[in-house]
Order: sequence, then structure tokens, then C-alpha cells
Amino acid sequence: MRWILFIGALIGSSICSREKFFGDQVFRINVRNGDEISKLSQLVNSNNLKLNVWKSPSTFNRPVDVLVPSVSLQPVKSFLASQGLEYEVTIENLQALLDNEDEEMQQNEGQEWSSNNFNYGAYHSLAAIYHEMDNIASDFPDLASRVKIGHSFENRPMYVLKFSTEEGVQRPAIWLNAGIHSREWISQATAIWTARKIASDYQRDPAITSILEKMDIFLLPVANPDGYVYTQTQNRLWRKTRSLNPGSPCVGTDPNRNWNASFAGMGASDNPCSEVYHGTYANSEVEVKSVVDFIQKHGNFKCFIDLHSYSQLLMYPYGYTAKKASDAEELDKLARRAAKALASVSGTEYQVGPTCTTVYPASGSSIDWAYDNGIKFAFTFELRDTGTYGFLLPANQIIPTAEETWLGLKTIMEHVRDNLY
Amino acid sequence: MQPRRPPLPAPGSRPWGPRPAAPLIALLLLLSPVVAAAESESPQDPGQPQDAGLQRRLLQQAARAALHFFNFRAASPSALRVLAQVQNGRAWINPKEGCKVDVVFSTERYNPEEGEGHLGKCSARVFFKNQKPRPAINVTCTRFIEKKKRQQEDYLLYKQMKQLQNPLEIDSIPDNHGHIDASLRPIWDLAFLGSSYVMWEMTTQFSRYYLAQLTSVRQWKTNDDTIDFDYTVLLHELSTQEIIPCRIHLVWYPGKPLKVKYHCQELQTPEEASGTEEGSAVAPTELSNF
Repeated sequence: MRWILFIGALIGSSICSREKFFGDQVFRINVRNGDEISKLSQLVNSNNLKLNVWKSPSTFNRPVDVLVPSVSLQPVKSFLASQGLEYEVTIENLQALLDNEDEEMQQNEGQEWSSNNFNYGAYHSLAAIYHEMDNIASDFPDLASRVKIGHSFENRPMYVLKFSTEEGVQRPAIWLNAGIHSREWISQATAIWTARKIASDYQRDPAITSILEKMDIFLLPVANPDGYVYTQTQNRLWRKTRSLNPGSPCVGTDPNRNWNASFAGMGASDNPCSEVYHGTYANSEVEVKSVVDFIQKHGNFKCFIDLHSYSQLLMYPYGYTAKKASDAEELDKLARRAAKALASVSGTEYQVGPTCTTVYPASGSSIDWAYDNGIKFAFTFELRDTGTYGFLLPANQIIPTAEETWLGLKTIMEHVRDNLY
Repeated sequence: MQPRRPPLPAPGSRPWGPRPAAPLIALLLLLSPVVAAAESESPQDPGQPQDAGLQRRLLQQAARAALHFFNFRAASPSALRVLAQVQNGRAWINPKEGCKVDVVFSTERYNPEEGEGHLGKCSARVFFKNQKPRPAINVTCTRFIEKKKRQQEDYLLYKQMKQLQNPLEIDSIPDNHGHIDASLRPIWDLAFLGSSYVMWEMTTQFSRYYLAQLTSVRQWKTNDDTIDFDYTVLLHELSTQEIIPCRIHLVWYPGKPLKVKYHCQELQTPEEASGTEEGSAVAPTELSNF
């Protein structure tokens, strides 16, 4: 394994003119005395052999590693034999080794912090996500803890990760919501990556460190666990919860029309078969009620961000009316800065504006409820893409999406930190 | 992931100026007639007045409809285009008749694997008939894939399709993780081409469709030289969030007009009582190039 790192470092710096190393070999030559060293120097300095010394001896009895191009193998071997110099071939084909390394690196690209083999560049089952949340909590016990805030209709636990640098105080807090619409898989995937990112970057990145010194972060990666399991087992494009609707063959309520903000207003349906069915009454969905109860009991949330897909939009209230929110100007400015930060990573462009006129009217939505309940910094992200793959975003876009979104999130969280009210 | 490029400078001859309109999406139902030029504003402007917002959304909607129609009419699965950016345009709304839109927009290649797609440019006149589907469209686009190259790529795709196993047994394309196997890419592109016809017919000034997934390939005869392709897609409609299964039957040969028949299952109509409803938009149609 050391070899790989060693080679990687050297190839980059010294052997720039040649790109391929087919059949090139590395000789480890034993030099026992000054005489042998000078003989070896003769060899190395001869221009036409094009040898490259990787490791020169500092004292006698230390081997010298020399890269021998395939065309020079025969003359070098003859020379060493004739001079009585001992050697062994430590790398028989440099190109093969490099190709192997490339493959390995590509495989590992998605596994930046692979712990227990959790590949952040792939989509995972609910169980795997919950397990990884537990891992993060145990990897960072002074910062993170996994908290159960309730359960789903089918009795699955609802877990959040709480990031807090000070116990016993109800600090101003940020709520990161994800996976409320189960088919929007990039949301849950981005959330779990973000969880690991927050934990890893604390005390390394000044921005997140200063945010966590002042505020707590609560992250709910799967706000609709039943729906998520259903997308994995039965119907990839399922959106709603899995609650039963009495008197109707159709299952589920749109959890993002079920919040108490102009409930049953425009942009929602009273038909249980509709994808935007608002449910029987506000907070009828236990998944929504669990979050509402938690936030209200806590009483000190300043920011609520909801991750969805797709369309590449960053929106703020309102969805239930075209009237401007009183903080619309500040939220708009902040959203534009966040979108700009996001775009700085890969050029991904987001459109910014209030929900109602940017995407469509939608009543009973999470961020409208949050905003009308005193949580000023309320935003919805509609993540990648703009329709090419839509909900079925390829896994190789998870990490790029998460990385760019992270910059957008940080921009917002930094502003909240500096503008606590 | 292809980044969106900054808008190209639009021709200076339009009265409302060459600055690009910021693209926004989806619509509110407006009852009063609005005749307005598109506001030109930079993406930095906050809080746009409502009719400017409506203008922008209509322009976007028109551009998308025009592209569905263009893709169908071009009948070239290797030269499919998607919307890059709306540049300028103008919409007239008449509550009795519908909505007429002139729009200029830039496009990109659909196939994301191609890397940096060339930017093409289109101008279109789209007439949305009041809440009736099948907008009337006149559209012209600059040629950004050389004709010969396009013919070659179409023929290559045709040969790939011919060589695939028959009957084809596939699960979904893409799979649930968004992956499309390289060998199955021609099927997807052809399915998208056929779906373009369906999406054109179904688009109104309010509804916007995307191809979510190809869920089955039922039948694939190769009696003569043509590709005869029978399949099911799931379309996603953005304003209602509904998933609409459509069965599509197309006949294709490189360079020839596309023939499409389809049947979509409308699960429910917006703002109406419960019950399932099966609708077949426009009776089975054989269309030729015009």
C-alpha cells in the first residue's frame, strides 16, 4: 500500500514527459560500498538509458530504487550482472500498478468517510440510513446524538440527529428536513451526507464551528419513512405517506400539504387519490405531527429548511398565497447569495423566489407553517435536476449535489447565526 | 451534470429589448386579459409584479411545448433537445380563446453523456387553446448538429436497436437508482422521442410534463426494416405532481417521419370529485411530417 502513495507522489512531480509505463520495471539495487555507488552512478547518468532514481541511498547498505523503462531492461540487467551488483525487481509492470490504483480510487470516490462500508455515493435502505445515523452519533459522541421524535403510520421510528456543543440549554436551533416526499431520493441521500459533513467539519471548518458554537442543528433525513420503504419495495414513484383513507381505495396523504398553514387552501386537493391530497385535518399525519410537536415544545427554532427534488429552485414563503411575506426582501437576498454559493461548486443554477409564483400555489406546506410560527428563515430547496432524470437522479450525482447544496446551506446558516432574533 | 450557460445576446430588433427574461415556472389562472411585453430584468431583481411573473411562466411553458413538438417532428433520437434558457418573448391572453405566445429560447442536447452540448437557438409561436391540449405550434431552430452527423448517429442507433434481443425483456429504464446501461440507451432515446409526441399533445398553459421512467417494453416486432416499438412510460406532471402511465406504440426508420399511437391513463382530473377516469387523448393518430 505504501508503494501506491510513494508512486503517486513521485510520478506527479518527476516523470511528466512520459504518460504510459507499460512494461517499465522498478529495480531495487543493493549498494554495499562506495565503489558500487560510483558504478551505479555511471549507469544512471548515461543519457540513453533514461533511468530514473526513485530513492537514493543515504548510507551504504541501503538499496537504491531505480525506474527502468522497458526498452532499457536488457542493457541494465547486463550491466548490473557484469558489475556484480545485486538487485531485485520490485515492480514488474508499473502501468498495471497505476491502472489498479486508478480503479481503486474511482471506487473509493464515493466513500469519502466510509465507515462500516457506508457508501455516501449510493442510495440506501431506511435501515442502512438509520444505522449510519447511529454510527455518526457514536463516532462523534460529544457533538451528535440520535433522537427519536416519534413514529410513522406503520410504526417505524422517526429519528433526527441532534448536533449540539452545549448540553442543558435550549439554544437557538436550525431544523433540516429531508425526505418528506419519499420518491425524491436525492433529498434523503443529501441529508445523510450532510449529517456526516457537519460532524466531520466541526472544529475543522471555521464556519460550521462558529455556527455550532452558537446554535444547535437538528437533521431529519427521512421525514416519511413509510413512503421511503414503499419506494424501495413497491413503487419507486410513491410520494405521499402510507396512511389509510377511510372510504377510499387510495392510500396516503401529501405530507407537505398537511401542515397548519392555510390548510386545505389552494394548491391542495381533497381527493384522497390525488398526489397533493391534504389529509382529513391539519397534522392528521403522525409524521407531520411529530415534527410540529417537537419544534413547538422546543420553542427556540430560528431556521427551517426543507429538502426536495427536482427543479433546482430555492424558495421562501409563501406557497399558500401570492402576497409577499413581510421578510420577503431579506429572504430573497439571502436565497440569492445561497444560490450563488451553490453554483460556485459545479455551475448548477438555481432559480430563486417565493413558492407560490416560482413553482405553484401550495397550501399546508412545511415552510409556510414554520414561517407563520415565528421561524423567520424558512426555505425550500428543490435539488437536482431540471427534468432529465427527475426523481431518478443517478447515484453518481449524489455527492456533487450534496457538496454544492452544503455551500448553500452554510450561507443560510451563517446568516442566521449573525442575525439571531 | 451540465451547467446552465449564461444567456446568449438576443437579436436587437425586438421592441422590448435584447435583455434575457429570467426563466420562472408554472402558472396561476388569470381571468382578465393581459397584453404585455416581457419585462426584461436581471436575475437579481426581487419581487416581480404578478403579470410579469405570469409572462415568464407562459414563455417557459411555450418553449417546452415547442421543444416537444420540435423533437417529435425532427424524428431524430440522437438529436433530441431540451430547454436551456428562455431569452425573450411575449404572451397574449384572451380568456375566451386561450393564450398566444411568441418565444425565443436556447437549447441543449438532451443526452447528458455527451458532455458540453452545443447551444442551439429556437423561435416559436405557440397557441394554447383554452384548457384544451395539443397547442398549435410553429417552431424553427438553428441547426446545431450537422445534418450528416445526425443521420449517421441515427443510423447507428437504428442498428443498435436492430441488434438487441427480440423479444426484449427489460425492467425499467432508468433503473430505480437512475442508471441507464449503455446498451439500453438507444431504447431510452427512442422512447423519449415517442413520448415527446405525447407530451406535446398533453401540454396546456398550465400543465408541464416530464418523462420519468420507461417501465416496460411489451413488443418489438421487426417484420420489415422499421423499428416497431410498443412500450409504457411514466410521465410526471409538475403542477399536480401526478404520475401518468402511457402506453405508446411507435414506428420509426431513420430519416422518415415518426408514427405514434398512444393511450394515457388519467387517474384523476384536477379539482374534481373522486373516481378514476381513463382518457385517451386524440384518437389513434398517424402523423406525417408537415
